[in-house]
Amino acid sequence: MNDLFAPPGNEWRPVSPQLGRMRRTVLAVLVAVAVVVSLTAGLVLGLLGWFGSLAALWLVLGAAGWVVIGRNARSWGYAERDEDLFIKHGALFRELVAVPYGRMQFVDITSGPVEQLYGVATVHLHTASASSNARIPGLPAAEAARLRDRLTQLGEAQAAGL
Amino acid sequence: MTDRPFRRLSPLTPVVRGFIVVVAAGTTVLRDVTRGDLGPAAVLLGMLLVGGGVFGIASWYRTKFWIEADELRVDTGVISRQSRRIRIDRLQGIDIVQPFVARLFGLAELRMDVAGGHAREGSLAFLPLGEARELKDLLLTHRDEVRARTAPPEARLAVEGPAPTAEGATPTPQSAPVAAVPAPPGPERVLARVDLGTLMLSTLLSVETIVLVVLGTGLLAVFVASGEWLGASAVAPLLAGLGVVLFKRVSGNYGFTVSETPAGLQVRRGLFDLTAQTITVARIQGLVVTEPLLWRWLGWSRLDVSIAGYGDSSEDEGPAPSTVLPVGQRAAVAFLARHVLAGDEVAQATLHPAPRGARWAAPVGWRYMAAGATDRLVVSREGWLTRRTHAAPHARVQSVRVTQGPWQRRLGLADLHLDSPPGPTRVRARNRVAAETREWFDVEVRVSREARRRLGRPASPSVPPSP
Repeated sequence: MNDLFAPPGNEWRPVSPQLGRMRRTVLAVLVAVAVVVSLTAGLVLGLLGWFGSLAALWLVLGAAGWVVIGRNARSWGYAERDEDLFIKHGALFRELVAVPYGRMQFVDITSGPVEQLYGVATVHLHTASASSNARIPGLPAAEAARLRDRLTQLGEAQAAGL
Repeated sequence: MTDRPFRRLSPLTPVVRGFIVVVAAGTTVLRDVTRGDLGPAAVLLGMLLVGGGVFGIASWYRTKFWIEADELRVDTGVISRQSRRIRIDRLQGIDIVQPFVARLFGLAELRMDVAGGHAREGSLAFLPLGEARELKDLLLTHRDEVRARTAPPEARLAVEGPAPTAEGATPTPQSAPVAAVPAPPGPERVLARVDLGTLMLSTLLSVETIVLVVLGTGLLAVFVASGEWLGASAVAPLLAGLGVVLFKRVSGNYGFTVSETPAGLQVRRGLFDLTAQTITVARIQGLVVTEPLLWRWLGWSRLDVSIAGYGDSSEDEGPAPSTVLPVGQRAAVAFLARHVLAGDEVAQATLHPAPRGARWAAPVGWRYMAAGATDRLVVSREGWLTRRTHAAPHARVQSVRVTQGPWQRRLGLADLHLDSPPGPTRVRARNRVAAETREWFDVEVRVSREARRRLGRPASPSVPPSP
């Protein structure tokens, strides 16, 4: 446990393990497509040696991505406090952000088709600053809705001027 | 049409809008007509002129504006009609801009800055200058009235943001208990003025100029030494380009004057395109004092501010709406900075330099990184060639962040960022000892929360009397 990114209270609330699964699936599909395309091109053009090594490169990159995704997905955590929300994420490049509820302009939930397939959603808190970057991906849909409602409620109650 | 008392823009608007076409077509067509033969180009231009003229006049005719129920309404559109409503109590600032051509005709554009809008949504172009000024005063007075009569302060806080502190934070002598009475368009007090000599010298001494001149001289020397006189002429466009850029800067900031008016700080500048801009002090989110290398010897610096809603437009060193003073003596800049931050002193902050370990993360820059805080402000400084000091009030900090890259983790360092709304201000303590960073993060989260509360309490005397 790194002191710098220690939770404010007891524990970080983790995001759904579906996040890692979803991203890994997407990665696997992309790598599979890239490998198939490379090999096909190799067969058609008769340059199987070159394109074979290209396919191998995709596989190596895919494997690296697999590991990175796992570490990143596990790194996400958030903590709701009385007046602000803490979010930490990142395995290699780490970030910890505290967003006061009173500073929130609005909250939105997005859930793309793939995310819906995995039953997760992303909650995004917008402040007046573009660099706040307060985003929690991979929340179970019900938890995302609960969080949004709670944040909106607290945001209205504690709203502060710019 | 109805009988409401609407107003129109200046009838010269189409002429100003299409000035270039008018001039081009005018000269070409006229010459050909006098000579008696019309070429195809002249016919085309003539048609363009007539068509554009008809459209311009129609557009002018269909554009009407009036004030109705605390809204400024603007109806426009020739083919598809649009009706825009601008809530007067949401007006953040009104700028009067005079592009060169408009100036020839004594016209001006009124630009309204609306809370929540990213771009400047409302614009009335063009009005006679006197009318524009009068309308601006009218709208600002009306806004203060609306704000004073609607909503108790707390509610305004939630809805409006910048409004409540507009009363408290402007340390104008006459505007202390301003809440109820809309300030009359009273006299303005000049706070700073930039003379032409300083402006030109400061522009010449900017870092880019030096780099370009050194580069140009080097090239010239090479060509001359090798006897390639033809090659030397290649330097000419470089110098010409530089000249144009410098001239733009000087003309943009020509006659730069900052004054204090009841509506806020007023910035006026420009040689060809005149700009008059009013900055509500309460909307200022933070500031940056910029000191390029050569200016430091002369004790000069520049002051920029972040204004909520203006966005980030000051990166390109040119005349930007965020600039409050393009060049000035340290004392003048410090005075304005104190004014802008409602009495808070940037210089009071003790800046703690980055630890020695930071030299592995930023070999040159680490010597110049420093950060600190006072009761009201967070301040950070960085930059070797161009030194920038960023400052923001705790109460204006949007969110607090800690970031750490893999290399920093090896060194036991981390960055602390205090996020401000888009603008030049970017307070950050880079490459601090990790443990200290987290400590500071926790402190800042608490301090900014308390500062926000103080700001939120309507009656709090959050501003010390300005010295």
